[in-house]
Amino acid sequence: MICAEAISCNGRPCEIEVQGLTRRFGKTLAVDSIDFRVGRGELFAFLGPNGAGKTTTINMLTGLLKPDAGEVRYQGERFDPHRLAVKRLIGVVPQHNNLDRELTAAENLLIHGRLFGMSGKGLQQRIGSCLEFADLTAKRDTPAGKLSGGMKRKLVIARALLHQPEILFLDEPTVGLDPHSRRKMWAFLRRINQQQQCTVFLTTHYIEEAEALADRVLIIDQAKIIAGGTPEQLKRSAGNYVLDIYREDEVQNEFFADRPAALQRLEQLDTSVRIRETTLEDVFLQLTGKRIAP
Amino acid sequence: MILHGVRAIYLRETLILRRKLVKTLLASAVSPALFLLAFGYGVGRGAQVGGVDYLAFLLPGLLTMSSMNQAYSIATEINISRFYFKVFEEYLLAPLHRWQIIIGETCYGITRGLIPVVIIGIYSLLCGVNLQFSPLFLLALLLHLAIFALLGFIAAMIVKSHSDQATINAFLITPMMFLSGTFFPVEQMPLAIRAVASIFPLTYSTQLIRATLTPEATVDYALFAVLGGILIILFLMAKRIVAKVEI
Ligand SMILES: Nc1ncnc2c1ncn2[C@@H]1O[C@H](COP(=O)(O)OP(=O)(O)OP(=O)(O)O)[C@@H](O)[C@H]1O
Ligand SMILES: [Mg+2]
Repeated sequence: MICAEAISCNGRPCEIEVQGLTRRFGKTLAVDSIDFRVGRGELFAFLGPNGAGKTTTINMLTGLLKPDAGEVRYQGERFDPHRLAVKRLIGVVPQHNNLDRELTAAENLLIHGRLFGMSGKGLQQRIGSCLEFADLTAKRDTPAGKLSGGMKRKLVIARALLHQPEILFLDEPTVGLDPHSRRKMWAFLRRINQQQQCTVFLTTHYIEEAEALADRVLIIDQAKIIAGGTPEQLKRSAGNYVLDIYREDEVQNEFFADRPAALQRLEQLDTSVRIRETTLEDVFLQLTGKRIAP
Repeated sequence: MILHGVRAIYLRETLILRRKLVKTLLASAVSPALFLLAFGYGVGRGAQVGGVDYLAFLLPGLLTMSSMNQAYSIATEINISRFYFKVFEEYLLAPLHRWQIIIGETCYGITRGLIPVVIIGIYSLLCGVNLQFSPLFLLALLLHLAIFALLGFIAAMIVKSHSDQATINAFLITPMMFLSGTFFPVEQMPLAIRAVASIFPLTYSTQLIRATLTPEATVDYALFAVLGGILIILFLMAKRIVAKVEI
């Protein structure tokens, strides 16, 4: 089931349009004919468990992998990774921190800038402001290999922002961060989305991350998109209220559109029951019948 | 600027090389010194080969072989950056044509290949052997280094893992080192081995570089054409391969 909302652009001009995108690795179907659209300036989350096909999708969207079928359009134009102009639109933060460990934070940015055809004073200024934006000014001359995990992650993000992309892809931006740093990273991502007016496409397997950050969420499982919409829409489609019904050896969930309906049902039950508001995790569980949490 | 990609890649590689220059220098000084001791002063002492002292024969061979090893060694580095640190993705994501990656890396391989030239130059002074570093030698050297840097690049693009790389080295690079006329003239070897040697590019570059370095020798200009031909073929191969490469 795909919400109608997932294939519109949420009332904004369309930035990314994906149709029938498919990729196999031998016999494994990694991404199976997925369709979606992302509007300009949206903060868009691609939520799915390990092995769902998130990284494969990003790699196809950025030209690192060739799709077996389907097409990608950026701002209405068909994506061809051999056309260089479109690559300037895109910034990528891969799942793996692929920094040059021997080079300093500033040198890592310098090389990226040069690869994107930047040079001279303009590049130096941009390096300075990206380091500042990522709170890394003090680490300017520290080799990237000697930064903490959170600093490395931020440096990779700063690097992706250096050439002022219009679309930023982030593959699991908060993986490996402690809860405190994760919250700070969320604020940082929101700042990128708002201050740099960047369309943000991120993948995550943390449900609360998608819920806290995203304008819209697309849920992918086993290579297929199984639902999409704003977190509120997704919760509404399952039912805003849920009962946890404690049976002998399991907890059953029942969903209700509103609180009175849930209370009415609660009266009829004689086992132990809890009533609460639906979370995105409940939606995911209901759709897939399994837990996503790590 | 159209070559920004070439320059960026070259800058990145040489910045890293600079960080480990001393280590690289020392490491590339050791093996030619050992070969020089074992072959030059051990086996071949006092012998004459092709009308010159064995040392005057051996040193140009060692120069060619060691510089080949350095230029080819970019294979391992690209491999690590591709499969392990995944820095290579940065090149694939950047707005540059993929042939720029080939040229950037080849220039880096050539730069690395110059290190042993300095080292063997010093050894030849110590041994009292007169090598003639002429413009003709420089041209031959550049062709030679570009060929092996390209081979290294191609190897790094076609392997699927780091251990494949070791296999290529064992079956291609090591035989080439010993059968291409570094230590003794190819003509002295059995016919079968001469046939094998004739498909190794190192055979031709050793012959050419040795001739340009040795004052008494005459240079076979046809060899420039052979090396130039090999270079063009390898570049076209690299171009095809890199166009298809996925992360
Ligand atoms: N290079 C590859 N070769 C073979 N199979 C692959 C390759 N890359 C991905 N796959 C397979 O494709 C499927 C999707 O993988 P992908 O990396 O896209 O998942 P993911 O959603 O990013 O997972 P994770 O959360 O673990 O990063 C998996 O079954 C995986 O094993
Ligand atoms: Mg992934």
